Parts: sequence; C-alpha cells; structure tokens
Amino acid sequence: MDERISLSRRKLLHTLAGAGVIAATDLAWWDAPYIGPRRAFGAEPVRFQWSVPDQTRIALMNSMVERFNQSQKDFAVQIEYVPQAQARQKLISAITGGNPPDLCQVWDNWVGQFNGMGAVEDLTARAKAWKHYADVAPTAWQTVTINDKIVSLPLAVTLDGIYYRTDRLKELGLKEPTPDWTWDEFLALAKGFTKADKNQYGYGMRGGGTWALLYPSEFAYGNGAEVLKDGKVVINSKEAIDALAWYLDLALKHKVTPPSAATDGFVEIVETFGRGVTSMYQHNSGSSGQQKKNVGAANFATLPLPIGPAKKRASFWFSETLTMFKGAKNKEGAWQFMTFMLDDEQSLKYNTTLGLLPARQSVLKQPEFANDPTLAGFINSFPIGIVSPYLAYPGWGGRIDSDGVPLIQQAILGKIPAKDCLDRFAEILKKEMS
Amino acid sequence: MTTLTIAKPRTRPLISWRVRKLLIGYSYLVPAALCMLATVVVPIILAIKMSLYADVLYKPQDYRFIGLGNYVRLIEDPVFWLTLWNSVIWVFGSVIVQFLFGFAAALLLQQAFRGRALVRTLTLLPWIIPGVVVGLIWQWLYQPNYGVINDLLIRAGWMHERLAWLSSPDTAMGAVVFTNVWRGIPFFAIMLLAGLQSVPDELYEAAHVDGAGVFSRFWHITLPLLRPIIVVATATRIIWTFNYADLIFVMTGGGPANATQITSTYTLLQAYSSLDFGYAGALSVVLLLVMLSFTFVYLRVTKGVEETG
Repeated sequence: MDERISLSRRKLLHTLAGAGVIAATDLAWWDAPYIGPRRAFGAEPVRFQWSVPDQTRIALMNSMVERFNQSQKDFAVQIEYVPQAQARQKLISAITGGNPPDLCQVWDNWVGQFNGMGAVEDLTARAKAWKHYADVAPTAWQTVTINDKIVSLPLAVTLDGIYYRTDRLKELGLKEPTPDWTWDEFLALAKGFTKADKNQYGYGMRGGGTWALLYPSEFAYGNGAEVLKDGKVVINSKEAIDALAWYLDLALKHKVTPPSAATDGFVEIVETFGRGVTSMYQHNSGSSGQQKKNVGAANFATLPLPIGPAKKRASFWFSETLTMFKGAKNKEGAWQFMTFMLDDEQSLKYNTTLGLLPARQSVLKQPEFANDPTLAGFINSFPIGIVSPYLAYPGWGGRIDSDGVPLIQQAILGKIPAKDCLDRFAEILKKEMS
Repeated sequence: MTTLTIAKPRTRPLISWRVRKLLIGYSYLVPAALCMLATVVVPIILAIKMSLYADVLYKPQDYRFIGLGNYVRLIEDPVFWLTLWNSVIWVFGSVIVQFLFGFAAALLLQQAFRGRALVRTLTLLPWIIPGVVVGLIWQWLYQPNYGVINDLLIRAGWMHERLAWLSSPDTAMGAVVFTNVWRGIPFFAIMLLAGLQSVPDELYEAAHVDGAGVFSRFWHITLPLLRPIIVVATATRIIWTFNYADLIFVMTGGGPANATQITSTYTLLQAYSSLDFGYAGALSVVLLLVMLSFTFVYLRVTKGVEETG
C-alpha cells in the first residue's frame, strides 16, 4: 500500500516536472534558471505579488525571478501568485491589514486608489537617479506620476488599436483599410464583414468591464470630445453624445455586433475573434499573442483607431507597473528587482513573450517590435496616444466599474439614449472629483 | 462511663451542587462561545461601526463619523432597491424549484432499482463542483455564439435566432436562477433522502392495510415526518442563497445593466470596486437584518404549522 502511494507521488512529481519543462521550452531563452534554482544563504527576502491570468506568465515570471536571485546574493525574491480576478481584493485586504507585499505588479488604473490610501512609496528620487530614466517614454512616466510624484515603474505600455481579419477581407473581397482610415470606412468594413445568418459580425463590441466605457470614450475624441477640460467634466458635451450615439448604432441600428455585446468582456471579444464570429475588435497589443495562436499571424493585422469627423483620433495609454508599498519591509531589494525587470534583456523578453510594448524607447526600437506586422497598429498609435483621462482622480476607476458599466450596458441594449447615459455618467464622475 | 458522639452538622457548601453542575456545564461551552464571539459577534459589531463612518479607503482624510448617513444614502439609492428585489427573485426562484425537484429526486432515489447507488452518486455531482467552476461551465453553455444550448435549440428547430441568454435583461436572471437550481437540487435530494430513510416502514404498511393510497400515505405520513428536515433545509438554503454571490459574479458580474445584481454582489462591488467600505458596511448590516427578520418570521410560522400538524 505504502509502495503504491510513493509510486503515485513519484508519478505526480514527474508530471509536475514535465509540465515545468514544457513551459520552459516555450521560453528557450530562459532554460538555464530551471536547471539549478539557487537560494543564497542569508539573502533578504523580497515579497512580490503577481497576478496571473495564464501559465505563460507563471513560467516567464518564475524564470525572471530565478534569474534575478542568481544574479546577486543580497536579495531573494519570493513570488506570490494571485489569480487576476482576486488580485485587487487581496492587495486591498493586505494594505488595510498593514501587511502589504514589498512590491506588486498592477495596472496604473489601480495605482491612484492605492496612492489615495497612502499606501504607495514615492519613487521620484530613486527613479530620477536611475540609469534608464531618460529612456522611458515621457507619456509612460505621466501614467505613473501622481501630484508630481513618481509612484511606480512602467514595466510595459499598452495603446488601443483595431484588430481585423485579413483572410476574411480577401474571402469577402473587401477593400484593405489603411492606417488613416475614417469612421465611415470602419463602419463600411464592419458591415461588409457582417453575415448574421452565418453568425459572423463585423465588430466585437465590449460591454463588460471598465473598458466598456473606455472604448467609446476613445471614439469620442475622434469627434472632438474630451472627458476632462480645464478641470471640468465634459464627457456629456454634444460632440461626446453624438460620438456615443454613432458608436451605439453599431449595435442598435447597423447590427454589426454579436447579440451578446452588452456583456462581452475581454475574454469574449478575444475569443469570438479567434473563433471567427467577429472580424474586428478593439484592444491593446496584449491579445496579439493569443490571436497568433487562434487565427495565425498571417490572417490578421492591426490598425490605429479610425479618424473621426473632427479629423482627430486618440488612443488611451496605460502602463503595467511595478509598484512598491510604503509598508515594504525590504525597499532596497524591491527597487533592485524593479530595475532588473526593466533592463534590456528582461524588458525585451517580457514584452515579446506577452505581446506588450516596452516603456523604454530603445527597447521598443528592437526588430522584435518594429518588424512585427501584428503590432504595427499599436506602434503607429504612439503619436495619437494620450494618458487615459480616467486616471485623473483615484475614485473614478471604481465608479466606472460600479456605476458606469451598468449605464453603458443599458445604452448598448437601447434602454437609454446616449445623452442620458453620458449625463448620468458625468454626474458620477463629478461626485468623485474630490 | 458512656461517651456520646454528637454528629456535627454538615457544612453547607459555598455553591450548591445544582449550581456547580450548571457552572460546569456552562464552562464546557466557554471555548465554543469565545470562538463564536471572535468570529461572529466581533465582526458584526465592527461592520455596524464601519457602517456609521464615511470610510472610503482612498480618501483617508475624509474618514469621519456620519451616524446614519450611509443608511440614508441607501434608502435613496434606486440600485439598492433593485438589488433587493432581484435578491427576492434569485432566492425564492432558486429555492422553491430546488426544493420541488430535490423532493422528487429524493422520492425517486428512495425506490429500489438497478444501479441506484450509481444514480445517487451522480445526483451529487452538481453539488460537489465548486460554485466558480459551475459558473464558468454554464457561462460557456449559455454563450450565444458558440455555446451548446443555442446550438442544440437551433438544430432541434425550436429556435431560429441565437439568443444571448446572459446579455439580455429579459433572460439573464432566469438563466442564472436555472443554473443555481441545477446546482442546488442535490442538496435537497440528499437531505430529504436521509429523512425518508428514517421513516419507519411499519407506518406505511399499517396505512396500506387501512386502505390508504399513495397520495394519502405521502400527505399523512411522509410529509409530516419530514417537516422538521424541510424547515431546517429550506431556511438554511434561503439564508445561504441570499448571501451567495459567486455564481452571479462569475456568470454576469451583476449585468446586464444591473439585471442580475443582487444585494450581496452589490455589497462586494461597493467594497472592492469603489472601495467604499462605509456604504458596503451599511449594505451588509441591512442584509443581516433582512435575514434575521426572515428567519424569525419563518421559524415562527413553521413552528405554528408543526404544532397544528
């Protein structure tokens, strides 16, 4: 009986080791760290929280951390994986409980709230003395600067663009869009792609999660609208209302979106494109890797957002950050690891593996990014990139989720007109401006 | 000479034997009572305290005592009333159907048939699967574009257009309730099956001899003897479902447009999206009061029924 148990344990360990090897072979560049993990005697621990949506990130981060631990003897990073859906709750509980990790990976739209809680370490002095300070894109610094204080290091940046199926274009005999395309051309293409009887739709509209409001806001900039002007909320201006009405008509009038648009979140818009249900969707470069697996790199391309009636367009810029907490017990170790992650080799590997774009301009010029046609839409979006206006106040992020998303869902379902939606949304934002 | 031994009166103990027995009994309860105090009473008191403060985590400078301010806001919040109504539909829609189908399943599983052990095990399956996994499975089944349900209904000719079950306010609540029913039937089936097995066969035999039919035996023997289990199981399940947020959180996140937002998911949203712990505290206290009132009324009513029975 004992022997059977020990055999099954051995089998289990073999399976686990096998899974690790499979994950590692995906990351050939990082093979070495798996061979001999090292724990330096007396090295000070650095607690690092990482939210994970998939196995690729786990394998990548294990390798990165192991490589850092091998590269010096003073600090040993201990990684704490948290499922992405629970990462925010866990962090809030840890901060309020007085036991935050030394550092964590978070998107910049959370950093404002953590900063408001007085939990985030001011990195201004360290960042300005850092050797790559001038190489980080100025807009990336803006995304992590609150009240003139740098509160995080931008590990990767994202800009939204439009994904479209090139194979479907040929199949349906549609005209290839160009980087300077317009709203009308976008609509014509969405209509051309739509074959409802075959369960095929032109545009995978997002109705679930924060970005359900951010995507139409980006379109609104194309019509000359803004979210915030001279310190006042102007998201319910005539230009913004007209833009939202046009955007909603994609679902309500032209019916170029799937019937599930009102609740489709990140997973759904990526999945429906991958399965051929939709032929366009709006997202950042983060799903390009997934689509290479789903539809093949040769069968899709990306473009910047189309130019609106005001001859303008904008793409919101977000950063994936490494953020240190005031309550960190090992600030020096945390800083060493943060800067290690932004060094040339690590930055290149991290971003190419996950389909993101590096915050450092010299790394972005590498052929891995510059020569990848599936990233062209995002790289071409840099000139129209602006810091997301919704980062302006720490309370806005949470209110978008709790109050804004139900509003845009009602609008997508045709229950309320664009004007009502934006008037009520503007009121919500105004209340959170303190 | 004779010596007399005078019996001394027995000294009266400081604490009587009866009181001592009582104290010993209570002292056995102390560890459990302390645990309850630490894990139930203290958090409730803290939640009540939190609900009386303006406590938005990212505005520590605004932290102050506001009395019943959060409760006033709650009364004026139309979404709160909507979530309360949604909670009623969610709870009673789920539990009534779960109970009826669970009872039917228990009666069926009580009968002797080939493969009964296997069927009993399979019946438990939806209950064994974690709630989050159930949510993900059914979300996929309901998926309008490539989900199995739409596909089967279209193939069978019962539907011509794909229906977005979880994206339409008209069908979303029904779809999540159906999923919860699927998950909860085994709970009632197992509880009631255990009750059925404790009913003595002699009662049925005697009733049969007296000429009672199937329905009469069910009504006069099965139902009265199962009543205590039914009361406890339904009360437990109602309280549980009222506070159960996982399924809705995974399947719809409360959408579309708050159509499936129940008070417990709304509380989570206020706490962890808006970081408004004061308001979330007020919502939790109201949830607690609603449940306490319901349990009190339910137990009073069912006790009355029992006594009448």
